[in-house]
Amino acid sequence: MSKSSALIFGFNNYAIEILKNVEKEYDNVKIYSLDEENISNEEYEISHFDLSDDWQEIEEEIDIDNSIAFCILEDTAENIFLTISLRASYEKLSIIAIASHKENANKLLMAGANKVIPLVETTADIITNMLENPISNSVLHAILYETSALKIAQIKIGKDSHFKDEELSSIDWGHYNGIIVLSVMHKDMSSEFIYSSKAKRHVMEEGDVLVVVGYEADIKEFEKKIGSNRYVNWSNWSW
Amino acid sequence: MFKRLIVDAAYFLQTSKRYQSRKQFFRNLLENNKYKYKKYVDIFMIVLIFMSVAVLIREVKHPIHDYMFYFNSYVISFIFFIEYLLRFWIHSSVSKIIVDRAEHDSFLSRNINLLKAFKKIISVKLSYIFSITAIIDFLAIMPFFHELRLLRLFILFRVFKLFRYANSFQTLASVLATKKFEFFTLAIFASIVIFVSSVLIYVMEANNPSSPIDTLFEAVYWSIVTISTVGYGDVTPVTFEGRVVAIIVIIAGIAVLAFTTSLVVSAFTEKLDEIREVKTVEDISKLKSFYLVCGYESVAQDVVRKLSKHHKDIIILDEDSARVERAKSDGFTALNYPPGKLESYKKLHINIEKQVKAVLCLYESDVENVYTALTVRSLSKEIFILSLLMENSNRKKLEFTGINKIVYPQELIGLVTRELIGQPVAFEIIHELRSETSNVKITELAITQRIIDNFLNTGELGNEAYRVVLLGIHKKATQRFYFNPLKDTLLENGDFLLVIGYNVFIKEFEQHLHTKVRDE
Repeated sequence: MSKSSALIFGFNNYAIEILKNVEKEYDNVKIYSLDEENISNEEYEISHFDLSDDWQEIEEEIDIDNSIAFCILEDTAENIFLTISLRASYEKLSIIAIASHKENANKLLMAGANKVIPLVETTADIITNMLENPISNSVLHAILYETSALKIAQIKIGKDSHFKDEELSSIDWGHYNGIIVLSVMHKDMSSEFIYSSKAKRHVMEEGDVLVVVGYEADIKEFEKKIGSNRYVNWSNWSW
Repeated sequence: MFKRLIVDAAYFLQTSKRYQSRKQFFRNLLENNKYKYKKYVDIFMIVLIFMSVAVLIREVKHPIHDYMFYFNSYVISFIFFIEYLLRFWIHSSVSKIIVDRAEHDSFLSRNINLLKAFKKIISVKLSYIFSITAIIDFLAIMPFFHELRLLRLFILFRVFKLFRYANSFQTLASVLATKKFEFFTLAIFASIVIFVSSVLIYVMEANNPSSPIDTLFEAVYWSIVTISTVGYGDVTPVTFEGRVVAIIVIIAGIAVLAFTTSLVVSAFTEKLDEIREVKTVEDISKLKSFYLVCGYESVAQDVVRKLSKHHKDIIILDEDSARVERAKSDGFTALNYPPGKLESYKKLHINIEKQVKAVLCLYESDVENVYTALTVRSLSKEIFILSLLMENSNRKKLEFTGINKIVYPQELIGLVTRELIGQPVAFEIIHELRSETSNVKITELAITQRIIDNFLNTGELGNEAYRVVLLGIHKKATQRFYFNPLKDTLLENGDFLLVIGYNVFIKEFEQHLHTKVRDE
């Protein structure tokens, strides 16, 4: 189920970058600021909000349950409070929050955020990978940020897939050119690396998901061959 | 004629590369603590000293073999003699003094006055001969003349040579030297007390037949034993007056002891940071390759922690002493040097292009990062510089300073968010592969000549048997990444394999790649 609106709580450099990257994906992107002075900003349309549980004004404009919220307030305590407040009111709202450190990230997860991006760790990870693994970093970067045609996709084993009831180790992957299968995700969302001893003996069931890497055309060909479809479920994120 | 011959010879030696490089070699070997082979010479000399002393101790009550005796008297003495001559040679340059004099005189259109040059040579060389270390070196050679029994005791002077070879002794001496004035004052005070009390006790006790103090020497001996708070008790005052003197000396002794202890302790406390810093700089100059991190704020802390997990050497520079302390307590090498100042790099004694892998400007302030990057760039045009950017409006300034890679966290977060909502699966998987805690890793394996000797193409690698996924190959020739390469893709020196798998299996696979399987 795709979400129709994006709500960005907090107006700062992060808000501007997030807006730049997500505005094409949603029909409606709104920025809310705690600071009333920001409302007069000429470049961006900004609305005011406060940390009370009164979301009526926003509700009138937007179907909040069918939205995604970005909690990016710079004050960690306020950000946690906002997240709790949103989660308490809207169970189905997808919340992405930004945390300065992993310690705060855990608190935000406890507060009900679906996904938390720890700023310092993410930046440090990227710097370390740039320095220590420049090749893998550039390949993974290309996959993620679409500068390459290479994709990672997850393919769900359907009712009619001929992989159903087959043992993973008995499948000849070489048969499917251009595709590399990385892991298998079970129905309970736990994933196993393809060469792990557990995955090897695993018998494919309906609902299992294969995580594959390949070029778009090859992935489509693979889907056709095994009789399954691409599957995106992002309501079950876990960090 | 004679004068000309000497000046020509001096010029020849001064310009001879061979002669100068040899002299430099011995100078490094004997005096340059940063020279990597010096420590072996030091260890060799220390071993000789201990052997020599061991022979001396053994000799006291047991007969020793002749070869031990000759080894001790001749071989070790000869080695020390050679060392003495080498030190005498490298201490100063005779040819330089003559050349300097010749140039000075010809500049002033005078006749070359070699006499002045010789005087200077003699004074310079004598200053070496009469230096304490040179005297000890000379006395250590004396056991060569072992027939003179007294000279054999000079073996003990060899122990003093240890000062030369163990840096910690030199450090101790330099620490105590900082309190020269205080020690001098203390010595004067103690000397006066000893002198006065010796005379007093002699006057009070010498005429008393029951007193053990009969001579002035015994009085001085008693004073020193008492003032040092040792108090053997073999010589004690018996008269009332003598005991009063003893009370005064005992009280003065406590003061002297307390003063000495506090002087030594305070000298060490004051110099401790400096000593540590000198040691750290010395260690840094010996590193072959390291990352130089400028600024130790939150992102830097995490980057340093992650890099250290890859077993990389990291040096942190920060002008904020609290952050430097934090870095030290986190277990990293940090110096309280401002990274924006050229002087900091001069103090480090490093070859920035050869030793530094990359400079990371990780201050959370664009002003600091630009300042640091410009300083580093002024030292080297080639060095790789990575910098954090905090405000996008400053990007151009950072680019202008010649920073090779700019990391703008806000932009990263924007991209990450887009991936989170657009390609959640790819995001999750890639995050998992990059994560420190995950068992499954993505790794780069470099193709070396040894691997090529064993395996011709990717089909021969046998990665499946090692439960490793070969994601692709990065070809050096084309600088491109080839995903899922065909089995007949040739391996070339400098290529990289990108593999995914459990750490332990990747290691096994790597070992397998380096194991010879193909017959020559």
